[in-house]
Order: sequence, then structure tokens, then C-alpha cells
Amino acid sequence: MTRQRPPEPRVPAVERYLAEITARLPGPREAHVGIVAELHSGLLDAADAYQSAGLAPSQAAQAAIREFGDPARVAAGFSAEIAARQARRAAVILLVTGPLVGLLWIATALASHLGIRLTQLWHWAGLPPGLRVTMALVAVAAGVTFAAALLGIATTGRLTRWLPARPRRAPLAAAIAGYGAISADGLGLALLTAQLTTAPGKLSPLPAVAAAAASLVRVILAKRSARQCLAIRASLT
Amino acid sequence: MRAETLKGHLDGILLAVLERGPGHGYAIMEALRVRTDGQVDLPTGTIYPALHRLEQAGLVQATWSAAGGRRRRVYQLTPAGRRALEAERSTWRDFSATVTALLRPTPLPVNPS
Repeated sequence: MTRQRPPEPRVPAVERYLAEITARLPGPREAHVGIVAELHSGLLDAADAYQSAGLAPSQAAQAAIREFGDPARVAAGFSAEIAARQARRAAVILLVTGPLVGLLWIATALASHLGIRLTQLWHWAGLPPGLRVTMALVAVAAGVTFAAALLGIATTGRLTRWLPARPRRAPLAAAIAGYGAISADGLGLALLTAQLTTAPGKLSPLPAVAAAAASLVRVILAKRSARQCLAIRASLT
Repeated sequence: MRAETLKGHLDGILLAVLERGPGHGYAIMEALRVRTDGQVDLPTGTIYPALHRLEQAGLVQATWSAAGGRRRRVYQLTPAGRRALEAERSTWRDFSATVTALLRPTPLPVNPS
């Protein structure tokens, strides 16, 4: 049987100190939750130790806060770590969703009556020049996204053991990957819109709707995460 | 010993403390103080970002534990962390031997007559 854990005491001075740290941390609030919880339990441990040594509770809390040090310094220590974590997450999401969205678009192209065959995806000779150029651009954008996302992942994991610490690199790579994804998805949506305005009857509706919805969601998410990564990068000195 | 003096060695020091067994942030700081007779004067708050950095590098592994009624993040050395600690040790031995030799007072050279 698991017993309900009694809630931790709320110590106003400790709460204020933690709020000072949180206010200085970059990134979204959900990225701070674990850090704040960990610091909170550490501060209470320290305060307990001072209380055992004979200090009154309020004095013990103050001593614990003094021991933990300048909130700006603690927050600065965490900034690079948050930046890396956010960049990595953004890069992983882009890398995983890219092929899925890509497959939906290929399915749309093959299922619709556009004269595109699987072999012609690689030999684009039979396609109209506009479509060919746009598809080439999509391929370039997808390639940039893939490379930048890989870089973002590589520079935030185990490799940090050997790489020189450059915390601004990974958020930049993740932002580039985000804008690459926006370009690739945006071009896909543009092609679809062009087809809808010229010959909507040739489109296979089900895969087209799925691909468009997936790309739309990805554009929105990629835009948000790219902006977030750039903002975090700007906050690092 | 102040934080500036320890700069560059904090990672190795944290790994060395964790070599004796898993521990949470505050316990690691306590162990550091005990092992150095209170010579280390490091703001406890700076230990935590350093531990997160080690975790990101795969040198330590962290898990939440609720032992004793308080949720704490407990850190543990990984095999890679052990290897990194060994590397840190041998680098430090070479470095300190060299600097010790260089700083040793040398007798004045005898003037050749």
C-alpha cells in the first residue's frame, strides 16, 4: 500500500528565492518544473540541516538560501542546459515527423491522377517544369532540415563530453531545422493549392487532406519551436 | 578554496564524490564539505547545473526518488562516468607532478670559479 506523502512545507523565503531563479531561466515554463523541484528539495534539505544545528526555522531557511548563492548565478548555470534540452527536443520532433509527413505527400502524389509514378519521383523528366523545380526545392529544404536537426541532436548528447562548450550552437541548428521544415511543408501546401485551383478533380482527397493537415500542424509547431530556440539562444551570453 | 580555484575541476570532483555511491545534490555537497574538512567554499546552487551538464554528457544518470518523504533527484555514475573519472585522475596526477616539480624551491646555482 502506498501512503500519501504529506506535502512539503511552504517556506515563503525559499519560494521567493526560487521565483527569482525561475524569472531568469530561459525557455518555456514546463522546462523549469524539474529544475525548481530539485532546487526546492535541496533547499529544504539544507534548511533541515541548519535547524538540526540549532537555528530557528526562519533563520535556517535564510542560511540555506545564503548557502545556495546568488540566484542569477544559479540560473545562469542552468541556461545552457535548458537551451540544449529544448534544441534537442525540437530537433528530434522535426527528424521524426519529417519522413512521416513526406510519406503522406508521396502517397498523395501517387494516389492522385497527376501522371506521377514512383519511378518518376526520382526521374522527373515527365513533369511540368514548375512542379519539377518546386519538388527540387522541397528536397533541398528537407535536406537542410535533416542535416540541421542531426547537428542539433549530435551537439547536445554524449558528444558534449568531447566538444568545446558552445551552448549557442544547438539552438541555432534547431532553429534552422525548424525553418527548413516550414519551407518544405509550405512548398508542399503551395503545390496542393496550385493543383486545387487548376484541376481539383485529379486529386485523391483522402491522402491530400491528411498530408495538408500534417504539414499545417508541422508548420505551426516548427514555427513556435524555432522562435523559442532563437529566443533562448539570444538569452545566452 | 573558492569556486574560481576549483573551476575546471568541478566535473571531476563531482564524479569522484559519486564514485562512493549514488547521491542527491545536497548530499553530494555535504560529502564534498566533509571530505575536504570544509575547505571547499562553493555556492551549493552551482552544484545542480554542473550535475545536469554531466547528465547530458552521459557521465551520470539521474532518477527521482521519494525516500524519506521528500522527492529528490538522485545521481549515479554511469560506466562512461567511471572511465571519465579515471581519465581525470591520471591527467591530474601528471599535471600536479609537473607543477610540483616546477614550483619546488631550487638551491642557488654554485658559481663556477
